[in-house]
Amino acid sequence: MNWFFVLLSLMVFPGGLFLLAGGMAYEWVDRKMLAVFQNRAGPRWFQPLADTVKLLIKEEIIPDKVNEILFIGLPIAALAGGLTAALYVPVAGLTPVYSFPGDLIVTLYLLSLLTLCMGLAGANTLDRFSLIGATRTLTQVFSYEAPFLLAMLGPALVAGSWQISDINAYAGGHWLILTQPVGFIVAVIGFMGKLVMPPFDAPEAHTEIGAGALTEYSGRGLAFFHLAKAVELIVGLSLVSAFYLGGLANPLEFLVKTLALLFVLIGLQSLLTRMRIDQTVGMWWRYGTLVVLAQWLVIILVMRP
Amino acid sequence: MKSHQNFGQQLLKSLKDWARVSSPWVLHFNTGSCNGCDIEILATLTPRYDLERLGVKLQASPRQADILLCTGPVTRQARERLVRIYAQMPEPKYVVAIGSCAISGGVFRGCYNVMDGIDQVIPVSAYIPGCPPRPEAVIDGLVKVLASIHSPGHKIPSDILEGALDPEKVAA
Repeated sequence: MNWFFVLLSLMVFPGGLFLLAGGMAYEWVDRKMLAVFQNRAGPRWFQPLADTVKLLIKEEIIPDKVNEILFIGLPIAALAGGLTAALYVPVAGLTPVYSFPGDLIVTLYLLSLLTLCMGLAGANTLDRFSLIGATRTLTQVFSYEAPFLLAMLGPALVAGSWQISDINAYAGGHWLILTQPVGFIVAVIGFMGKLVMPPFDAPEAHTEIGAGALTEYSGRGLAFFHLAKAVELIVGLSLVSAFYLGGLANPLEFLVKTLALLFVLIGLQSLLTRMRIDQTVGMWWRYGTLVVLAQWLVIILVMRP
Repeated sequence: MKSHQNFGQQLLKSLKDWARVSSPWVLHFNTGSCNGCDIEILATLTPRYDLERLGVKLQASPRQADILLCTGPVTRQARERLVRIYAQMPEPKYVVAIGSCAISGGVFRGCYNVMDGIDQVIPVSAYIPGCPPRPEAVIDGLVKVLASIHSPGHKIPSDILEGALDPEKVAA
């Protein structure tokens, strides 16, 4: 019977179907609230689902002179990375299905798989917009990834464990947003960079470079990349709110905390204008990384017996 | 057994139609228009009319678009680009000609440098008349294209578009 539950946890809950449905629901909340902030009516509740189904049944054009295996495989790898990362994260406020010491690092790397796959997918095609988009995507990875990683390791230092479930349990008694506000801000903004949300949407700036790295993707590949982004939205929200907003102990707490965090992200998205890619890099390396490192120093000094 | 198969196919077909009708992503291309129609298209996409409530998203890449919104009488220079963009779009794809010039060449009809309308170059699914058409007219045209996706072959129910789907009548 064991394999049955393994299969269930991978395909239905909390992996697979639940993540896809939840990701699309959160994507809808994102788009709808953004529309409300912009005085619009916004999309209907089934919009992300309709988009996905439409893309899945659309013709997939494989352009000339691309590596076909990479062209087809990269979207699948991106989606698989997001879905796998969810297994180590307390999604829906339940204990993670799989857990081992050090799974925090694995999860963070799995989460950045999407961006790496997008960069490679752009570099794989000959289209000029894809190439510029790929360059910008990879530049952005190297700018936000280090501060985001450092910000996520702050709670790990305090909890004394690099295991997500341990940190979640520790955070249950300590609202780390109060003791590590700098880390929280850097984590939230880094997460926005990870998802290419508006202040950091230079890699897919529609007014400049088409659809960025994904310009040549039409059908299934685009659908998988969209789904991967939706899954990453829900996984990243759970991770940040588990670490900084007092842990996720039950589904209700999960809903309240992740939606509150999403609300903050939507507000920032509608407030801020797009930054140039050099401004993004400058901001992360000149300020983001340094303030997190300063906070690390404070944590280490305070925690010294 | 056969009726089961039919039922399954019907269900699949209605799911496909539903998805295509619910999520039309548009691409906007100016084939030599005076920008009047383009400004009306942009006005249609602004918060006042908010086409995202119908699922419409403006895409920048032809690979990701379902509906091509064309304005202008197709100058001979723009012709090749129009054909190329149409070829770059994945199936199923629909073309909407917006404005008098896109329908028939408008005031430029017969000029040495224009092709007299979009349908002289690529197949067109719907025509939106006006110089320029108001955003309401653009939305009306889009909704009619969506209705034709639902039941291909079904004539678009419109008095304005009567006969407009027949390229020969327009060209005549």
